Amino acid sequence: MSASSSQALEYLELLPRNTHTKLYEQPSTVLAIFRCMLPHLAKSIVMAMLYMTGPFAAADMDAWFRPEGRDAKAKALSVLGQLHIILEKQDSARQISFELYKGFANSLRQALTGSGSSRSFGVPSNKPDPNKVDVAFLDEYARKKWENMLFYMVGSTVGLATSSAVAQDVGEGTKQLLRAGNFVKTTHGRVSITREGFAFVLQETNAQVWSLLIVYLKYAPELGMSETDVLSFLFMLGSLELGQDYTTSTLSATQLQMLEDLSAFGIVYRQSKSSPTFYPTRLAVTLTSDSGALQSDATLSALSPTVASGSTRGNKGFIIVETNYRLYAYTSSLLQISILSLFTKLTTRFPNLVSGKLTKESITRAVRLGISSHQIISYLTTYAHAQMQKNSPFIPPTVMDQIRLWEFEGERVETTAGYLIKDFASEKEYEELWDYANSTGVLVWKNDAKRVAFVDRIEMISMFLQKRNKRNEEKG
Amino acid sequence: MVKAVKGVLVKCDASIKAMLVDIDEKNGHEFIIDELDEEHILVKETKVAELKQRLQNMMKERLKEPESSDSE
Repeated sequence: MSASSSQALEYLELLPRNTHTKLYEQPSTVLAIFRCMLPHLAKSIVMAMLYMTGPFAAADMDAWFRPEGRDAKAKALSVLGQLHIILEKQDSARQISFELYKGFANSLRQALTGSGSSRSFGVPSNKPDPNKVDVAFLDEYARKKWENMLFYMVGSTVGLATSSAVAQDVGEGTKQLLRAGNFVKTTHGRVSITREGFAFVLQETNAQVWSLLIVYLKYAPELGMSETDVLSFLFMLGSLELGQDYTTSTLSATQLQMLEDLSAFGIVYRQSKSSPTFYPTRLAVTLTSDSGALQSDATLSALSPTVASGSTRGNKGFIIVETNYRLYAYTSSLLQISILSLFTKLTTRFPNLVSGKLTKESITRAVRLGISSHQIISYLTTYAHAQMQKNSPFIPPTVMDQIRLWEFEGERVETTAGYLIKDFASEKEYEELWDYANSTGVLVWKNDAKRVAFVDRIEMISMFLQKRNKRNEEKG
Repeated sequence: MVKAVKGVLVKCDASIKAMLVDIDEKNGHEFIIDELDEEHILVKETKVAELKQRLQNMMKERLKEPESSDSE
């Protein structure tokens, strides 16, 4: 599971049960969730249970796991429970057993064996398109659209983009969405980027697409679109083939409206608004896969460690940082220059090079805007020039340390939003709870002396408490 | 009965905590829900940004920074 799909997973987990049930009617949705949202262990569990005829006793499941795998098992089961994939049952003899939800199991079987209607995976157009476009064109189209949007966010903040020129290329709908997602804000008619916006720009492209689409999903009910319809369309897009044109005749009204919005982001391409076919771009088909979108192309900001360690690292590095904090960047891309200028004091620009210096002032300004030192360092590392890559580490350690120290001076406190759980009746109750919270990965902090624990998400904990209370009542 | 309180966990060192508690006391206890230990406090979610801002101002007043030379 990549960082990008984990955001989508978080969103999916919070949906109510009937939304899940409706979603699971589509084999393409089920396959997409199975393929890239579930942790590997959860996949194994689902696979093992898929063709079972009856419920599966919890005791039998325990036999599959070594004692040291208990935490991983609890985590996998809690994800499956949240997504309403696995049902936990208790029979009259108080034996706990597990069962897959019928709808999910049916759709997954259909997806795997290819039975049922194929409509769920998109219907290719049966007439040859006279103006057929190729993959290279689609890539270029998607890159241009997406980059324009990023530049709209960053460029207008640092004042490089005269907002009118860029603003024309970015649709009104897109701008509204960026504002709705709190990625940019408008003060006195001037657009500036927010803390969330920075995190967004510095993400890997795939993660960016998901963040934007999640905002779109939250926004969908206001536009009179059903969330389920939107989600299943997105998952369908993820299963389409690049370079193939698909017919629009099988789409619902909501989905037709979506096509229009998505082509504004460059996720799908249509020749005209009334065209009977559409092409998914690379941004769409990589939605539900781990391979990155648009990675081959060096002008897009991609800032994840997976990118840095991947095979894509080659000659795309362009940044040189010296031990005296001077920075040289061989680039003429306005997007890259504006990203650099977020945390660098740029002084000179040549046709193929900009130079500047990392100063305390420039770093603290970036930190105030919400960029972390970690993000800055990993950006510099990802795009280190080939010459810099001969050193180990790529960026001089003194510079890295100083960036961290500058950040620490500005930020003296570390905050985590969440819930404090207190007033436990007994030591045992306290221990059970923090142990559960720890194994599901939501525990942030605990204090044994005061018997309090802090968690960043409450849903699973409250389910755990309810279940335990019920058990206690039954006992007593 | 177990209770869950919504809030923001603020982790800082003891000296910063003292300043945060000071700010809270001077403003009618409208920021802090609970002091958990030497390095952790629980703050009202809506007030975190303001508390951070006040802390920055306080630090600026109390700590004079040496002028950083920014010459090329």
